[in-house]
Amino acid sequence: MNKRKQNLLLNALTWAVVLLSLLPIFWMVLSSLRSFGEITEGAQLSSEQALHWENYRDMWLNVDFLNYFLNSLIVCGWTTLFATMFATFAAYALARFRFRGSDTASIAITVTQVIPGMLFFLPLYMLYKNMGESWGIPMLNTYHGQIFLYVSLFTPASIWIMRGFFMSIPRELEDAAIIDGCSRFGAFVRIVLPISAPGIIATATFIFLLAWDELFFAWMLTSSAEVQTIPVGIRLFNGQFQHRYDLMMAAATVSTLPVLLAFFACQRFFIKGLAAGAVKG
Amino acid sequence: MRKKPFHAFPYLLLLPAILMMLAVNLTPILQGLYMSLLKLNQYTLNQFLDAPFIGLDNYRRILFEGHSPIRAGLGFALRNTLLYTLVVSIAAIVIGLAVAVLLNRDFPAKGVARTLLLLPWIVPSYVVGSLWGFMWQRDVGIVNVVLVDYLHLLDEKPFWLLGANSFWAIVIPTVWRAWPVMMLLFLAALQAVPEDQYEAATLDGVSKWGQFWHITLPILKPVIVIQFMFQFIDNVYSYNIVSMMFGGGYPGEWADLLMPLLTRQSFSYWMFGQGAAVSFIMMTLMLIFVAVWMRSFKRSLANDE
Repeated sequence: MNKRKQNLLLNALTWAVVLLSLLPIFWMVLSSLRSFGEITEGAQLSSEQALHWENYRDMWLNVDFLNYFLNSLIVCGWTTLFATMFATFAAYALARFRFRGSDTASIAITVTQVIPGMLFFLPLYMLYKNMGESWGIPMLNTYHGQIFLYVSLFTPASIWIMRGFFMSIPRELEDAAIIDGCSRFGAFVRIVLPISAPGIIATATFIFLLAWDELFFAWMLTSSAEVQTIPVGIRLFNGQFQHRYDLMMAAATVSTLPVLLAFFACQRFFIKGLAAGAVKG
Repeated sequence: MRKKPFHAFPYLLLLPAILMMLAVNLTPILQGLYMSLLKLNQYTLNQFLDAPFIGLDNYRRILFEGHSPIRAGLGFALRNTLLYTLVVSIAAIVIGLAVAVLLNRDFPAKGVARTLLLLPWIVPSYVVGSLWGFMWQRDVGIVNVVLVDYLHLLDEKPFWLLGANSFWAIVIPTVWRAWPVMMLLFLAALQAVPEDQYEAATLDGVSKWGQFWHITLPILKPVIVIQFMFQFIDNVYSYNIVSMMFGGGYPGEWADLLMPLLTRQSFSYWMFGQGAAVSFIMMTLMLIFVAVWMRSFKRSLANDE
């Protein structure tokens, strides 16, 4: 087999892998546009089927999806903002300074990743419950209860991604700024932050994807629809309308869109950032 | 050694992150440790500081007695979680590596392929759970339609969400979502491999396979070691996919995993003391695994620096 033929074969194989891995997503979108009857009649496909856009309207009407959607945006938005900020600060400290306790901090961050907060959902639930009942600080069933938790859950992994970025920026840039009369903080804000914008965008995207996907704690810490996010809404929907797959797939498609948009908007930074930050570990 | 002057700046930068981590990680861990020593159930839950102190009794019950509700099914969940974690982690790494090697060539629209391949990883895991839960349905699911009606590979439609099949019903979607990011990380590592190493090997008459074993794999080893560990950790705590696929109910003894079991049992039987004890046993096993893993591969990780 000559080189050219072999290359064509490998290209075909590559695109076959791409198509195969996209099939479930394609099926999700297609099912969201099929009628309830078409789905229950054994899923046979024909080219004559009309596209049932009304599924998308019914989905919003049946389960008050807009409420869950807005709640998700609020919770994930604030989480992304705070977690990115805290991770950026912490990562800069760990990337640039050797100080008493810097090793301990690094180890603590690594250990937190190994023992995710998930394992301690019972004490955390009790803590939140007690804060409301005994101290008068409501944490269950609130936006800030979820945001506070997610910020601390997603900060450790984000610190490593950001640290990789800061390590790749030459130290001389700040030194020069400091010689020119900038303070340490001034050099960080005026020199380092603008250069590391791609890294910050990558980290923020990463946090947004994680927060958008959070079901475990959201399910446990919220019980009123006013603050519940999309995953909880879809899970409740799942229980109530077990067989309305047409509406379920419409809801699934709509809730995938924001993360997909975030990914495409920041893709350039994101893929690079993930690769740079995570390889070093 | 010269004594460094004290600078507050790095501490101030670290402060918010550390405070948050202390509040949400350390506090519950300490509180959980204390809770695991209490007889904590629906009767004593509200005043948990007054609950009877029973020392290590919760641990003794879980490890050596078969009567508690949490203990029932723990064996299955433990076996499933271990198998699931191993299968998913290894499959995600092997497939990710294979596709990364396939993509690490020059071909038209290379970037588009790479972006599209990453999409399953972008789809939220709760969506993956509902989507595949639908795809696995016996009568209306596309999997049976393709396997039975289109390809005629099977004579009759199997139940995918029952019995031993349900183990694969949770493994396959998890792998589908996990391998793309492995592919991305391997691809990034592959692009750092100096081209002349391969050229020299080709001149020496080393086959493509030989080059893969003797050049590519050793260079990728640190990435594989680290990513296997993170995959392992992630999958041990897997929750969303299984819980959405089975609507939060009992998935049966082949698909029940530790985290779904722990939440289900804790909130239906209110066995918070025993739940906390199970969490501590899991944490200990996890820390032992990570310590042993890091120690055994210390040398190959150090080469990375």
